[in-house]
Amino acid sequence: MKSHRWILMFFLVFMGSLLILPCAFADEKEIKIGVLYPLSGAAAAIGRDLQRAAELTADIINNGAPGVDIPMAQWKGIPNLGGAKIKLIFADHRGEPDRGADLAKRLILDDKVVGLMGAYHSSVTKTVSAVAERYGIPMINDSSTSPALTQRGFKWFWRATPHDEMFNKDLFELLKGLTEGKVKGVKAVPKKELQNLAYACENTEFGSSVAKSIENYAKEYGFNIVTKLLYSANAPDLTSEAKALVAAKPDAMLFTSYLSDALLMIRTLKGMKAQTKFFWGQDAGFEMADFAKTLGTDIDGVLTRTVFIAKVTKVKKVAGQINAIYKKKYGDDLTGATARSVVGVQTWAYALNQAKSTDPKAIQKACNELNIPAQELVMPWAGVKFDETGQNILGRGLIGQYQKKSDGKIDLEIVYPFELATANFIYPFPGWK
Amino acid sequence: MEAIKDALNFSDFSRAERISLIIFSLFLLIFPLLGAGSFTKTVMIQFLLFSLFGMGWNTIGGYGGQVELGKAQYVGIGAYTVALMMVWWKIPFWFSMPVGVLIALGYSFIIGYPLFRLKGHYFAIATICTSLVLKDIFDNWTLVGAAKGIELPIHEHPDFVYMQFKSDTYYYYFIMVLFYIGLFYMNWFRKSKLGYQLRMIKDDEDAAESLGIDIRWCKIKAYSIASAFVAVGGGFMAVYNLYIDPTSVMELSLSIKIALMAMLGGAASLWGPIIGAAFLVPLDRFLGSWLGGYKGLIGVDFMIYAALIMVVSAYQPRGIWGIIEQLRKRGS
Repeated sequence: MKSHRWILMFFLVFMGSLLILPCAFADEKEIKIGVLYPLSGAAAAIGRDLQRAAELTADIINNGAPGVDIPMAQWKGIPNLGGAKIKLIFADHRGEPDRGADLAKRLILDDKVVGLMGAYHSSVTKTVSAVAERYGIPMINDSSTSPALTQRGFKWFWRATPHDEMFNKDLFELLKGLTEGKVKGVKAVPKKELQNLAYACENTEFGSSVAKSIENYAKEYGFNIVTKLLYSANAPDLTSEAKALVAAKPDAMLFTSYLSDALLMIRTLKGMKAQTKFFWGQDAGFEMADFAKTLGTDIDGVLTRTVFIAKVTKVKKVAGQINAIYKKKYGDDLTGATARSVVGVQTWAYALNQAKSTDPKAIQKACNELNIPAQELVMPWAGVKFDETGQNILGRGLIGQYQKKSDGKIDLEIVYPFELATANFIYPFPGWK
Repeated sequence: MEAIKDALNFSDFSRAERISLIIFSLFLLIFPLLGAGSFTKTVMIQFLLFSLFGMGWNTIGGYGGQVELGKAQYVGIGAYTVALMMVWWKIPFWFSMPVGVLIALGYSFIIGYPLFRLKGHYFAIATICTSLVLKDIFDNWTLVGAAKGIELPIHEHPDFVYMQFKSDTYYYYFIMVLFYIGLFYMNWFRKSKLGYQLRMIKDDEDAAESLGIDIRWCKIKAYSIASAFVAVGGGFMAVYNLYIDPTSVMELSLSIKIALMAMLGGAASLWGPIIGAAFLVPLDRFLGSWLGGYKGLIGVDFMIYAALIMVVSAYQPRGIWGIIEQLRKRGS
């Protein structure tokens, strides 16, 4: 009889626990966000860096980070969603738009994600965001800079990063500043000495839209373009492109490249002892950690457009704190791309917290009304606030210059905006002897 | 009438093959009802699409024995015709796709005529070059969107005229119909006069010529048929992905993939391209997604993919179908 009672007790406890446990776990709910990055293929190095930064940010949101002085680092989950944790589900699109679209469908329909983030390549972001738009699922883009992305009238797409039009304007403001003597450490350069520009841009969506924008701004600011080149970022050899650039003898060489082609281009130009006065790269390959690591002092004087430079950490507390955690874990400083990945996940967290729900419509409303203050971002931006097209209107770009220091190491210094300059500008570009 | 009968007549295949075809067809028919995930559905769509591409390639590459590595240019022509006609003039898919096929046919005649003065490796290299040149033109041609590509407008409601559906099931059945049209056509083609002529040319060009076969004309015809096949697939890609750029529809890697699937499955056999696509597409998509995304083993899928291709081609140059036939002979 006694044993029967024990069995009955056990059964009741078991049934009770079945009822109670789900309630206990309810607080530990996960919010799945699908993140599409190029984790293999030509842009794999960048993709993996982006993945790390996104994972680190999710970890800060989920588990807290005592040394980081922003509210998000104390949340330990999304406060308005009962402390629910963010779970990032990564998908590798390899830089292929059709693969990106298929993976987006998998994330939305099979993995049942609340929303999407990514996809780095503007061409992939186009197909992924089209899938998100069809299914009415929010997508926050962290680092695709093709201006066209926010000119499509999409209702489910928001972009935290400034786009290439904004960045290219910065380039021409810097060139103009050089001719007007506004640049730190350089006397005004006569405009005729900087008149002729040449560009070589990789030929996908990203590079070709930068090329077009450079042409427009050159006209507006009164510069000539003497050579226009579009090339394949996967090309195993860039000798003919480099020869064409050298032959044109431009005053400034402008590039839009991913990592492998940026490395190849500089090595080829070095081999030809190419000479120019101004050497600028439009972010992407030029500002990855591996770019400086691989080329070392060969890039003394090279400029890169970016949105984040390690020096920002000296002037911005939160940037320094998050950068310290990233560097401790992965050995590198945050870059423009990885810092934007941090902001991407952060924007997702703020949007979810403001929406107080995982319902797409609530998130849509939250994104449209979102306003993340400047002091809570790692970026030197005025904040994150989207306009009616989904574009963040408070972002801004930086231009950095790789400079060889007295200890022989290469460091990236801010040279634009002029008021944030951290070092004298090296002009003209020293080139390769 | 005779041609339709021939296309539907599979009696020269073994009983096992016919039963397999019926089971396979039943599976394809009920697949969307089996409750598979959406990713599996996209993989099945890719499988049917690449089977169609492979069948096209098989006419000139398999039966004709010409190593053709430039099919992507015709995928591009099909895709761009559909996309541009839809964006510029809002012309429905059902009209723009046949126009794309006609343009591909015309272009393939123009390209094919000088191309078939070449033989062997020289022909293969020339096909790669023509494809690369066309891609470069599209990369820089602003009128067609240059490297930025073309985005098709998204229709909020399902639209049969413009082939826009939210659910992949519709696309699945549509590509399945195209797949069967391709399969029946190929079944007719292999028994047609041109089919026999091509096999003869493949075995011995001089002997074929001595029998009065116009070798160059036969090759051009087969090349154009192959181009029409892939242009149909290209048109489908445009409405399915809603975005095309020269990199996604004209890249050399796409040409190689098309040839590889047919060759690995078994060139010059009706089932070869289907088997090749059934083998490589899921391998590529599932392994890439599973190892690269979920498990963090980035790049491992490439190694497995490459190793399998090497093993199959080293063991049996006639591909997987060759292995199956070998096993069957051993069994009997």
